[in-house]
Amino acid sequence: MNTAVSARNISHNFGSSVALDDVSFEMKQGQTMALLGHNGAGKSTLIKILLGLITPTGGEIQILGRNIRKNTNRSTLKLGYLPENVSFYDKLTGEEILTYFAELKGVGKNRVCELIEEFGLGYAKDRALKTYSKGMKQRLGFAQAILCEPELLLLDEPTVGLDPVASQFLYGKIDELKRLGCAVIVCTHELSLIENNIDTALILGQGRCLASGNLSELRYESRLKTRLTSPSLAALVNDSERLASLYTDDALLLDRESKQDVVQFLTSECGLFDFALKEPGLAEIYHFHMKKCTQIGVVS
Amino acid sequence: MLLHSPVLVIAKKEIRDSLRNRWVIFISLIFLLLSLSVTFAGSAVVGQLSLPELDALISSLSTISVFIIPLAAMLVSYDAFVGEDESGTLLLLLSYPLSRFQILSGKLIGHGVIMSFTISFAFGLTAVLLLLFGENYDVAATLGQFSQFILTSILLAITFILLGYIVSLTATEKAKAVATVLFVWFLFVLIYDLLLLTLLVADITFVNQYIINVLIALNPTDLYRAMNLIGTDAGSGSLAILSASDWGKAALYFVMSLWVFGLMFVANFVFRRRQL
Ligand SMILES: Nc1ncnc2c1ncn2[C@@H]1O[C@H](COP(=O)(O)OP(=O)(O)O)[C@@H](O)[C@H]1O
Ligand SMILES: [Mg+2]
Repeated sequence: MNTAVSARNISHNFGSSVALDDVSFEMKQGQTMALLGHNGAGKSTLIKILLGLITPTGGEIQILGRNIRKNTNRSTLKLGYLPENVSFYDKLTGEEILTYFAELKGVGKNRVCELIEEFGLGYAKDRALKTYSKGMKQRLGFAQAILCEPELLLLDEPTVGLDPVASQFLYGKIDELKRLGCAVIVCTHELSLIENNIDTALILGQGRCLASGNLSELRYESRLKTRLTSPSLAALVNDSERLASLYTDDALLLDRESKQDVVQFLTSECGLFDFALKEPGLAEIYHFHMKKCTQIGVVS
Repeated sequence: MLLHSPVLVIAKKEIRDSLRNRWVIFISLIFLLLSLSVTFAGSAVVGQLSLPELDALISSLSTISVFIIPLAAMLVSYDAFVGEDESGTLLLLLSYPLSRFQILSGKLIGHGVIMSFTISFAFGLTAVLLLLFGENYDVAATLGQFSQFILTSILLAITFILLGYIVSLTATEKAKAVATVLFVWFLFVLIYDLLLLTLLVADITFVNQYIINVLIALNPTDLYRAMNLIGTDAGSGSLAILSASDWGKAALYFVMSLWVFGLMFVANFVFRRRQL
């Protein structure tokens, strides 16, 4: 698969404050990347740099094989973007707003109608935007972002303030686009919801890249432990010194090296088959890095 | 093809947006009300139809519109950039394959059309009513004078739309933009004139006609008044000096266009430097 975005050593300062410090990543077409980090970590800044809205202080960016420093290349790129906290023109109707953006992109009226139906806004397309609910507004914003059938889609906190079902609907749409070969970068705080929708993640903290890679790489790198739980675990732990040393909070915490051994020990020596293994999720990995990040922050 | 150019798409949207705003209708009605009362108020006092001389009428109309047009124009435009910036749509527009100059031009055309419409509606209707009810008016002269009055009013509106843009582009918040716009209005319409008229009345020796001309050129509202008073005998008191200014009419139009292009250039410059 072709490389969709390749960013090397991106740095950016606003005056004397550092917003991004030597961030590099790469993603392929047809992949979804989650851009994670605390408020003020530099996520939005990175997205604006990818869009060419901000020229970074340093670094190289290639999008779909083209260097975006040369501004002339930008208009031929098929990019979709949904800014964070965007509120569209209150007095216009949903259809007028989408038509406006379609005309600016040179996209036909058919596509507008198609998207309005696809996002379930048909019944409200002639109503002024101010009568829309938060979820309807975000769906409209999302439809705006994919008007031109983009090859790279950048979503800055698209699901803030949405209920879980509405969020899940948007993530479902992201999956559909991805299958069509679109590369998606989505910035979000809904870690457990997106866990199954993403291919890779980039975790930023105070402008630095704390971790990146796919879920298993992130797990490996963080060295977080797998939780093994079972209803009959408590009894076993009392008898085994080895298990007792691994036992915390009603579960055995197993690192990568000991996992195999312990599972074998449980099944063959203790006759325990009724147990569940839970790998660390994105949320745990995220919190692990954030804790590290604040510790460094305190020291430096 | 041209209809789908981004500039016109933006202009169209601004017009639609402004029309949904009740207060564009409100401005039109205010203009109309002022224009009609200046024209026909004399009749109410006398109790029968008594209409002013054309020159005197244009002079009174311009005295009123010099206050109201700049204010209305800036109230239409102050929000254009800071408002879209606050709601995030400016960022979105800039991610589109559009240049900042195209966005600026689109908005200017849109707001220009809105102001032109309100101005032409109010003063055009006044001219028509004048011709219908007044008997002593030469049709050609009336239409000519009013066309020029409307044209200069539109130019005045455009300069203040652009001043509103510059305020909007430099402001960080809407509320600050409103305050600045009111200050700019106060400065150009009241303070500057007060100083200018003081100078004129003081009759200081070094204040020759040349300096007066420069002072007029430096303020679009004075240019506007000079354009409408020049060659008429309507100016009374200190205004007479404005009408006596030895600028040719063409020169006044030229300086006014310089204002428009100059402000356009400044607005574009400020826009390009604006941080996101
Ligand atoms: N236009 C700007 N001028 C100055 N500082 C800015 C500007 N935009 C963002 N910053 C700063 O850069 C840092 C990163 O901001 P941002 O990218 O918006 O964070 P995030 O989207 O991850 O919450 C923050 O400390 C923020 O205060
Ligand atoms: Mg952000």
